[in-house]
Amino acid sequence: MTWIDFPLYSSIIVILWIIGLVFLVVSYKKQAVFKIANALFVVGWAVMIVFVVKLWLELDRPPMRTLGETRLWYATFLPLIGFVTYARWKYKWFLAYSIAMASMFLAINYLNPETYSKTLMPALQSPWFIPHVLVYLFSYAVLAASSIVAIKGWYDNYNGNFKIETLKLADNLVYIGFAFLTLGLLFGALWAKEAWGHYWTWDPKEVWAFLTWMGYLIYIHYRYFHSQNSKQALTILALAFVVLLVCWFGVNYLPVANTSVHTYTQY
Amino acid sequence: MSENNIKIQRNLWENPWGYVESFFIGIGLIITGLFLEVFSTSTSVFTIAYPYNVIFLGGYIILLFVLYKWFTNSQIIRWLTKVPASISSIVLVTVLVMIMGIIPQIPSENRIINNLGLNHITSNWAFLLILFQFVTCLGLISIKRLLQFKWSNFGFILNHTGLFLALTAGVLGTGDLQRLSLNVYEGKPSWIATDSYKNEKVELPFAFYLKDFLIEEYNPKLALVDNKTGSIAHNDGKNLYLVEKGETYYFHNFEVKIEDFLPNAIRFGMRYEAVNEVGSSPAAKISVKNVENDSIQSAWISSGSFRYPYESLKISEDYSVVMTIPEVKKFSSDIDILTREGDRISTVLEVNKPFKYKGWKIYQLSYDDKMGKWSNLSVLELVKDPWLPLIYIGIFMMIAGAIYMFWMGNKITKNKE
Repeated sequence: MTWIDFPLYSSIIVILWIIGLVFLVVSYKKQAVFKIANALFVVGWAVMIVFVVKLWLELDRPPMRTLGETRLWYATFLPLIGFVTYARWKYKWFLAYSIAMASMFLAINYLNPETYSKTLMPALQSPWFIPHVLVYLFSYAVLAASSIVAIKGWYDNYNGNFKIETLKLADNLVYIGFAFLTLGLLFGALWAKEAWGHYWTWDPKEVWAFLTWMGYLIYIHYRYFHSQNSKQALTILALAFVVLLVCWFGVNYLPVANTSVHTYTQY
Repeated sequence: MSENNIKIQRNLWENPWGYVESFFIGIGLIITGLFLEVFSTSTSVFTIAYPYNVIFLGGYIILLFVLYKWFTNSQIIRWLTKVPASISSIVLVTVLVMIMGIIPQIPSENRIINNLGLNHITSNWAFLLILFQFVTCLGLISIKRLLQFKWSNFGFILNHTGLFLALTAGVLGTGDLQRLSLNVYEGKPSWIATDSYKNEKVELPFAFYLKDFLIEEYNPKLALVDNKTGSIAHNDGKNLYLVEKGETYYFHNFEVKIEDFLPNAIRFGMRYEAVNEVGSSPAAKISVKNVENDSIQSAWISSGSFRYPYESLKISEDYSVVMTIPEVKKFSSDIDILTREGDRISTVLEVNKPFKYKGWKIYQLSYDDKMGKWSNLSVLELVKDPWLPLIYIGIFMMIAGAIYMFWMGNKITKNKE
């Protein structure tokens, strides 16, 4: 039962990453140690992959059914996004953020012991299940990264040293995240047609997924036509992420929740 | 809101209309719609069916072409093809959908919600009007980019035209969408389906004959229950263990070993025996060792069924071990479709595996929950949506557009303008 091994694996990963983060901070003064930080991140991530693969094999079902399992994927995708973005943009703060976020999600999972039930309801037994969930979680991770860029932008604005490059990084992430968000939404529609007979039923989760999509749609259009109004763009980006969070966790707590087919199972 | 950070003094409604005018118009549409909701007495949902929806769509697209081609000098058309109109309508559609995401879309006691129709947003006039503006903007700019085609706009056209098609076909198609449910019983042909939206019976041109209804179940799970509250007493109700012969599990200081497991059994005196009888339930023989004092007790427990009661084992003053009702792994109907011409088509329906027949898609919907795996009722759903091809074209254009967008988004770098 692999979730039982989770404390062991997650401790190893988080310890590796924290030491890595310390090296990363030092590397602002002494560039040479940055390699060590990177190596620690990669080793930690490799351990993470081993855990995910083992979990999947032992559960006999894709580990994507519960909220905790979605957090696990989130923690898996974030470092990857950090590595790729670092390779292109050379922002150390961004790499540090993605590793710290991933560690935080591992910690949340550590504090909320998860279910390792092997059961999977018939509606979820579909070839669409894996692409739908993975594409969505990847997109959520990229968009979370873009919201951190928004916070960084605000902070820089406050200190008066805002650079337009920051918004370009946000655009880069939003375009990629939005592309995946669109795919996740449409895969969901195609799947729903096969499973429930209709591609769109305004289920509360669908409503909020649509709203998330609209939120980033507003950002993209606003940025495209008002490329100089950085503050408004940053605000829209932050608000869109709030809607995303409602869609991911919040729907369960809204008055509409009990009419949804999408609530994550607890048992 | 000017482009170049230069504030130009201009009056409201002066050329060209900006954000203030756009939100003015959009909110005006919403207020008009809400007035219609309050004062219209009709309770039926506004839909148009074939052939009127086809005529409407054709006429609408032609109208958009004509407007774009010959009326671009008019103030309103110019406004509709500009950014403020798009962004304001996206924002206002978002606001109305957000209401739908907060207020449950079910009959309500609240007078304000009822009068303004906030519990049926998708058929609310306010939503339909603002959606109409949204789709009109989308249609006009799609036509604009199509008529001034450039390869660099390819992704733009895919995304915008795809969304236009999917939305218009989705909204107009509701009038022709048919969703029927049909109860079929083992060994009996059925052809009278129910349209639950219109609340009427529909006679099908073919019949269904259910040869066999099958349910596969997971093994039940083992749980520790608090005797006083009756709730599950370990791991917050998570992490229940699947009952499998030979497994040993640990609850607090109890060691629970599963000596035997029978998926279908009934009690004979002191023990359970495997039978093949309607209503027999899963049963397991467990032995529980209290680690503190090494005492062992063993007994048969069962999840029970609609016919037999469940049995648990009280292991201390505070706790009992119970077996949960098994979860369903898979359910399927082995059916024959009988036509008037005397043909017989055999197929197996399963969740996520619908069957296509004469323009209908036939789904496995549900069964008699109470009877569980002994159900001889299978509920099928039949769906006919003639607009689906158009919607799928829209969806696949958007999928292609999303891939294009990913590729473009990837190209944004520090130094790119």
